[in-house]
Amino acid sequence: MKKLRIALTKGRLEDKTVAMFEQLGFDCEQLHNKGRKLILDIPNANMEVVLAKAADVITYIENGVCDIGVVGKDTIMEYGGSFFEVLDLGFGRCKFALAGKKGVDFYDGYNERTIATKYPNVTRRFFEAKGMDVRVVKIEGSVELAPLLGLSDAIVDIVETGSTLRENGLEVLEDVAPISAKLIVNTVSMKLRQQEIEDLIEQITSVIA
Amino acid sequence: MKNKLITPEGTRDYLFEEAAARNLVARKAAGVFASRGFVEVQTPGIEFLDVFTGSGAGIPVEYMYKLVDTKGRLMAIRPDSTMPIARLCATRLQTESLPLRLYYNQSVFSAEPVMRGRSDEVLQMGVEYIGGKGFAADLDILTAAVDTLQTLGTGRFEIGHIGIFNALIQGMRIAETQREQVRTLIETKNYPALNDLLDRIGSGAFVDAMKQLPRLFGDERVFAKARALFTDDGVIKELDYLEKLYHILLEICPDADIKVDLGLVNRNDYYSGIVFCGYLEGIGKAVLTGGRYDNLLATFGRTAPAIGFGVNIDTAALYLCSHEKVKVVKPQLFIHGEPGFEAEVFRRQRQKIAEGIVCEVSAFETEGEALSYAKQNGIGRILYVGANGCREASVVVNAEGKEQA
Repeated sequence: MKKLRIALTKGRLEDKTVAMFEQLGFDCEQLHNKGRKLILDIPNANMEVVLAKAADVITYIENGVCDIGVVGKDTIMEYGGSFFEVLDLGFGRCKFALAGKKGVDFYDGYNERTIATKYPNVTRRFFEAKGMDVRVVKIEGSVELAPLLGLSDAIVDIVETGSTLRENGLEVLEDVAPISAKLIVNTVSMKLRQQEIEDLIEQITSVIA
Repeated sequence: MKNKLITPEGTRDYLFEEAAARNLVARKAAGVFASRGFVEVQTPGIEFLDVFTGSGAGIPVEYMYKLVDTKGRLMAIRPDSTMPIARLCATRLQTESLPLRLYYNQSVFSAEPVMRGRSDEVLQMGVEYIGGKGFAADLDILTAAVDTLQTLGTGRFEIGHIGIFNALIQGMRIAETQREQVRTLIETKNYPALNDLLDRIGSGAFVDAMKQLPRLFGDERVFAKARALFTDDGVIKELDYLEKLYHILLEICPDADIKVDLGLVNRNDYYSGIVFCGYLEGIGKAVLTGGRYDNLLATFGRTAPAIGFGVNIDTAALYLCSHEKVKVVKPQLFIHGEPGFEAEVFRRQRQKIAEGIVCEVSAFETEGEALSYAKQNGIGRILYVGANGCREASVVVNAEGKEQA
């Protein structure tokens, strides 16, 4: 039987997912000692794991080269795509928020606002829903810098504790959306390997509940 | 001139085996259609945009390739074949009595988002059973679709009923724009965004049922699952109909892999009854899609029920290429003549062709060049015509790669 192939987002979500797999009794030996291997075997569960950047997890699932993925809701919201989002894994919790300089009323006046963000699609949709025209500037690195330098009026970014914002004289103006890690499934795999995948979902549900 | 050497994104050249595979698939499908009494029609490549923008067309205008004619009118490069055929049935075929069984074999064009690996030009074949109504007509087209799929390869077939989706969305009582959003998200299988949208719309029995809809697929157990979830009378009625159809279809086609998918919503908005699609093994995209569209013809001025399906010939050809060796016809004989013997050379060619031999004529100056060409192209025999008469020899490539004639 072909192995179920699972794509994990490298980094923090990976650690949390491996911890969850171990709770389920999966043999994660190879995941702890990866070396240079790119496809890692879970010998006692007919599964194998690949590690990828968040946006690539979505690409792999969409194209069906992986059956299941673990990825943050932030990436799903930004990149979209066709797949099933079957489970909220409960970890990696944070939020998308609109943040600006402390004490400045963002909505005051009629001037066009400029928003700096790593997530232009999320930002555009958020302001579209408000019926507001804004200029979106895509930034790759520290988004907090943009309002400080005068490039933008505010930012849309992932906020966890808010300490980076506070240290730079910024504050959360509004929550945009909550974020957490999600289990996603390729649409064809969901049909062809329904039983296996539903069993796995059930197992995972039992440990995260 | 920088675009002179490339083809537009979403289009491509089809070479040799690929072209042969497309033709082979088209012949196989045409065979199934013709054997069931369907007759071919062809519609123009360019039509007025209005043909495709009527109510319920469901092709976003931004997805169509558009032109302006000499009178300033907007035209579309055919994005779909069903609507032109509906137009045809309401106009030139107006006086023909129904039902009409038509089939087509032509490309459709759409401006797909870039970098998604989708094609802008797709060769499509399909049937339209205009005036076919009721249970028997549904079964007729379903079995034709299953037969077509089985002729093309090994795969699976899924059926659903758009009435279930329609009843649910009706029950949600939302604005037209949101309704369209929900439909698009289900059709593109963008389930994360669908759930987010449904969360925003609120709660209630219909919204909850809609959230479950995409996961309702599998064998006959789906019907029991669905009955537990849906209480609406309209939904139950469609479920009963679909279940009856499903069981009879299984009886007629016992060797086919047929499943139920209640979340099946095809791209075109004109479907009004059963919907279905077929997949070939190892290919993620549906190769066959179709359904009943009882309201489309009325938008062209002739009220008639109809049902049909389309086959993506490109996808089927891709499958064929990876599953069996598609052969391109190669020349068996190469004829080389000395200058002045052209008449004799071409007379010989005609003669050989009449004998059923695929035969190519040399334009090279020397016998050596002609021989090495024949060797390179795997032409088995060579015929020299000249002052010393004719001699035929076989072209052999030996172990050292040297020719012997």
